[in-house]
Amino acid sequence: MATVKPKSKVAAVLEQPKAGRALGMWISAALSLVCAVITLPFLSWIKLVRISELLQSLRIDIADIRLFSSYSYFMYLWDFVTASKAGILGFPAFILIVLAVAAFIMNLIFISIVLINKVGKRGHLQFYLYGKVAAILSMLAGLYCVWYCFGWANAKTYPGSFAPTVIVYILIVLALVFYIVQKILEAEERKIYHEHGLLVEIKRNWVLFIFLIPCFVYFMINNYLPMSGIYFAFVRFNFKDGLFFSPFVKMDNFRFLIKADLWGLTYKTILYNVVFIGLGNVLQIFFAILVSQCGVKWFKKTSQTLIFMPHFVSFVIVKIFVFALLEYQTGMITNMVLNATGNRPDFYNKASYWPFIIVLVNIWKGVGYGMVVYLATIMGISDEYYEAAKIDGANIYQQIQYITLPLLKPTFVILLIYAIGGIMRGQFELFYQLVGSNAVLYPTTDILDTYIYRITVSQPTSMAYGTAAGLYQSVFGLAIVLITNAIIKKADESLALF
Amino acid sequence: MKATKIKKGVSGVSFDIIKYGLLTLLAIVCFLPFLVMVSGSFSDNATVVLTGYGVLPKNFSTTAYKFIFRNPSAIIQAYKMTIYYTVVGTLVGLLTTVLTAYVISRSTFKYRNVVSFLIYFTTIFGGGMIPWYLMYTNILPLKGTTFIIWFPAILSSFNIILMRTFIKGSVPDAIIESAKIDGAGEFTILSRIVWPVLTPGLATVGLFLALGYWNDWYRSSLFSTKTDTYELQFYLYNLVSAAEALKNLVSSGTSLSVTIDVPSQTVKMAMAVVVTGPILLVYPFVQRYFVSGITIGAVKG
Repeated sequence: MATVKPKSKVAAVLEQPKAGRALGMWISAALSLVCAVITLPFLSWIKLVRISELLQSLRIDIADIRLFSSYSYFMYLWDFVTASKAGILGFPAFILIVLAVAAFIMNLIFISIVLINKVGKRGHLQFYLYGKVAAILSMLAGLYCVWYCFGWANAKTYPGSFAPTVIVYILIVLALVFYIVQKILEAEERKIYHEHGLLVEIKRNWVLFIFLIPCFVYFMINNYLPMSGIYFAFVRFNFKDGLFFSPFVKMDNFRFLIKADLWGLTYKTILYNVVFIGLGNVLQIFFAILVSQCGVKWFKKTSQTLIFMPHFVSFVIVKIFVFALLEYQTGMITNMVLNATGNRPDFYNKASYWPFIIVLVNIWKGVGYGMVVYLATIMGISDEYYEAAKIDGANIYQQIQYITLPLLKPTFVILLIYAIGGIMRGQFELFYQLVGSNAVLYPTTDILDTYIYRITVSQPTSMAYGTAAGLYQSVFGLAIVLITNAIIKKADESLALF
Repeated sequence: MKATKIKKGVSGVSFDIIKYGLLTLLAIVCFLPFLVMVSGSFSDNATVVLTGYGVLPKNFSTTAYKFIFRNPSAIIQAYKMTIYYTVVGTLVGLLTTVLTAYVISRSTFKYRNVVSFLIYFTTIFGGGMIPWYLMYTNILPLKGTTFIIWFPAILSSFNIILMRTFIKGSVPDAIIESAKIDGAGEFTILSRIVWPVLTPGLATVGLFLALGYWNDWYRSSLFSTKTDTYELQFYLYNLVSAAEALKNLVSSGTSLSVTIDVPSQTVKMAMAVVVTGPILLVYPFVQRYFVSGITIGAVKG
């Protein structure tokens, strides 16, 4: 060893296969734990230095505000920024919370990974990814806090009135050490498994990275950057300050939504989706089995073509179809009922009809698509099962019950998980086109999506409410996906999404 | 879908009746509105107002179509715009989808799973409609442009995964590796080896995209500021929901002395036919691509 190269002591210890790396891991975990504790929303991160000048510059009276000399990153936004009504301080403070919470979560994940210590095919290599991300996020949270105080808050209010506490600097240093330890460990272990890092990968596959640029740009603009807009859910919008710098109002918007029947809207959204998923899938499976049993080829083809057709028209056309069937004067069904009973049913003025109409239309539009999905699975079932069953004397119903249906289960579960992921998102186009602005029908047909669209389009100042409702939808939806996935994973690992 | 799975003879006649009967019924239900639409467009407006739409044309007349095509500039403009959105969006979408899918299909690419997850994650969590809307209108001042109508729909998680499956199915890893050994760059592999055998995948994803563009009205309703950039479906939507639109159509006609009654009911149907026509015409020919796309998408999850 001594003849090769002079090495630092740390590196020499860490290079030892077992003891060194294990020690390094425990050091990292300890550092990670300290970082996690610091990123808890309780320790003070931001201190106020020149309080009286600061209050003067914000034009607030000292009697109006409950003051502390220092705040945790969370209480700073929640308490101080809210009370100061200085919207300009809000959005960057919110980003600070996001960073700190992300760092906290990643540190927790890293610690639990180390504790469980499930070594895979490539040793600890996947550990380091989490470790590095945790370290970088912790460091970023600290550095961002420093920038926030000196670069933003001081510039926008009274100079020199904000400063990060010493804890923030400790966090930055510890995270840096954490990162370096992870890097050293990783470099050693990479040699063992002949792995390489991001820079080598970029050098080797730079063309592939260039191929990914459009994808990156698109998802950044379309999905990831707008995620920061969830901040708007917590502001009271006014035109003077604009959306980003309107005053922070904590949960006020959610309180407004709850008063405006948030639970009722949620209930309707979920109930409609449950009926769509349940009834829709049952019918799709049922008709897929029927089609698969058809011996006459032209009949099979024609019926499939016709059943699949509604999938191809837009919801504007669907609106026209429903109108042509149900309109008070000219609707075909209206007139048929009139001829049969002597009464003209007024569909567009009676809310109680619409749950049935909407469910029927949704099934009508989706049955062909779902049928194709299930038909594909049925076609993939080996003939041998059926031959064997026939020899054993099973009739057609028994064959369906004991062979087809059980083998359709995986497809059903996959579709179910996907559908459940969107259970909080209603079929906006369907509801909006069929109901439109016909307020008579809202009691039974208003769902979260139509509500958000309506309040936002009709009144720009309610954008904050709309964002709050959208955030509620997203968080609730994500929770449902995670729970469903966990349940399914427990029942059958191979069916879980992730 | 060659032969039936279960040979006849085992099942009773009752099952035959049930299956053919129910399937016929469903097919009729699915097709009926289309029939009503076409019949309605060829009906006489006054008769429709009096007795309602029917399965067959009532008092056959082509007034509605004559009325539409008397002053077709608006609808031709909407048609042009929609064709533009569909063509540009589909081409750009296909290209970006193939590029992305190619990268995450490469088993030698270290970060394929990270990229796949980041793409998938967008389907289970998002900032909601309003931050998305503000991104395009406030942060990027794109409101009213044509770019914004097609751009938000070029990529989708589903299409990327679908295309990846197509690529993996049609080009084995070994071929790509041997091409690399022979000195082919990634671009050469993609354009010379993968692209030529990807026709079914391109057709399927391209048709998914094109159908989405043709049927979209939502982005126009949010972002269009001028009527001459409207998508066709949104133009139709406006026409249907606002009675004023019809009056405008009359007053912008040749003379102000037009006193004829606007055949509003049948015009609506005729417009629907004009808007849906292209889809229904190509549908029988492209149906199999949709079926194969959905099938592959379903099998892979």
